[in-house]
This record gives sequence, C-alpha cells and structure tokens, in this order.
Amino acid sequence: MGVIGYGLGVIGAGIGIGLAAFGATSSMARQPEMQSRLFTVFILGSAFVEALALIGFVVSLIVK
Amino acid sequence: MDALSKLPEEMDHLVNSFLSQAIVGDTTVGFTQYIFWMFVAIALLCVVIFVFKKKQAASLAPKGLFVNGVEYVIEFARDDMCKSILGDTWKKHFPFIASLFFFILFNNIVGVIPGCHPGTGTMGVTTALALVSFVYFIVVGVKRMGPIGYLKSLAPEGIAFPASVPLWLIELFSTFLRLITLAVRLFCNMFAGHVVMGAFAILASLFVEPLLQSFTVAALPGAATSIFWMLILIVIYAVELMVAAIQAYVFTLLSAVYIQLVENE
Repeated sequence: MGVIGYGLGVIGAGIGIGLAAFGATSSMARQPEMQSRLFTVFILGSAFVEALALIGFVVSLIVK
Repeated sequence: MDALSKLPEEMDHLVNSFLSQAIVGDTTVGFTQYIFWMFVAIALLCVVIFVFKKKQAASLAPKGLFVNGVEYVIEFARDDMCKSILGDTWKKHFPFIASLFFFILFNNIVGVIPGCHPGTGTMGVTTALALVSFVYFIVVGVKRMGPIGYLKSLAPEGIAFPASVPLWLIELFSTFLRLITLAVRLFCNMFAGHVVMGAFAILASLFVEPLLQSFTVAALPGAATSIFWMLILIVIYAVELMVAAIQAYVFTLLSAVYIQLVENE
C-alpha cells in the first residue's frame, strides 16, 4: 500500500519538475544569455519540488 | 529470479541501519552514530578553516588551489546568498548565513563518502538547524519592530481590519510551517538519497553473489546485470554529490529569504 501511495504522490512532483524544466528551456531559448542564472533557478525550483516526492518516499519507508 | 526475492529483507535491514542507533546511552539521551559523524564533519570544518586562515595570511594574494577554492566558496556564499537577497543589511547576517552553509555542506559531503553517515541524515540535527534559523529571523524581526510590531507585521499591509484577521492566522501558521519544511526537506533529501544508493549497492551485490559462490555459466547473466546496477549506482552517486551541495544552498538561501522578509517589512 505504501508503495502505491508513493507512486500517487510522485505524480504531482513529476508534473512540477516537468513544468519547471519546460519554463527553464523555453526561457533559455528566448534569452540564451541568461542561461546560467536560469539554470540555477531551475535547479533550485526542482529541489523544492523534489523534496515533496522525497518526503513521500521516506514516509513510505519508515511508517509501515 | 532468485536474487530479487532477497531484496525486501535486505532493504529492511538497510533502512534499519539508517535509523538512529545509540553508541552511548539510548536514542533519547545519548550519542548516536549520526552525532558522531556530525562531530567528524565539525572537526573537518575546523581543520579546513584554520588551515585556510593560516595559508591566506601567509601571502597577500591568494595562492594555490586550496586557498582559491575556499575563497571561491565563501565568495559564492557572500554574493549569491547574502548580497543578492539581503541587500544593504548583508554584512550583519553574513556570519550566520556562512556558518549555516558551511556546516550543512560539510555534513552532507562527509555523508557521501562510502561508509560514513551524514550528520544531517537524522531528524534531530536538521530540526536543531531549522530551529536556529527560525529563532534567528524572529529575533531579528523583534529587534527591528518590537514584539507587538513583529506580530502585527505578519498580516499583509493594505488590508482592512476584519479581513486581515484570518490572513494573519494563515501567516502565523505558515511561519511555523517554515520550521517544519526546512527540517523535513533536508532530512528527507539526505535519508532518501542514501537509501536509494544503498538499494542499488544491494542489487549489485545480490546479482553477483551466485558467481562468487560457484563459477557456473548460469551465473554469468546475473553478473552482467550487476554491472548495469553498478553503472546506475555511479550515476546516483554523482547526483547525490550534487544534491549535497544543492540542499546546503537551498537551506541557507531560504534562511536568508526569511531574514530578508523581516528586514524589509
């Protein structure tokens, strides 16, 4: 059950990281000179989203 | 598959080994393996800082890879986290921000070395760190605006009285939520990263095991799969190195943002 719950939870995080990557790539294409700054922001944003997925992972491991 | 049937048992063993276990005393009052590695990280940090100070004082211009490298990281913390977010008040908060960043960075990096544990891989340490950051920005806010002024400043400006009450409550709640999210984010990243690395290491060893016990042709495909697991393990290790730096950055950046929120009210 925990694994199924984790799989459901990760859908949201997947959409979130996908949106972040979409925004980053399209804005990099528009303004290539901003690439390095945008990349940092993208990494930062995906770190926030990823944390949510990881909370689900850890909870599904610890809480049996 | 014979090898896969052993996986759940090994995973339970792995996760249990990542939970806090007391070396001295018990887990409530005592000394767990994570605290031990935290002290290792602190010792390493002290060594690096003191050697850096000594080498830096030796010549006027920074010389060599070590001095330049440490200076680069410090300047990164100063420009990217402090100056760009805190603006004019960066000098006052730089010591706090920098020590937070270096402490977490060293803990995370010590954790990535095989055989070591990250000091930040336990809830106790990350909660303490989050509590320090939480108390710091509240104290800064109270010093600037006074206790009543700080409580009032939680509600966004420009909203008439009756409507601002529920907003104030939500803001108060989200302020306390910062404490939890800071602690849980760092802990989960470290814990989950190590569990995933451990899982692939276990897979690699499980698949190569039949070959080591008796050299038969039937065991060769398993050993070939093991190489694949090893490759994934190396990739995840590289990702973990990145995560160690990014999570230190994220934690410190958020602390800086919270300080900036009370400084610019």
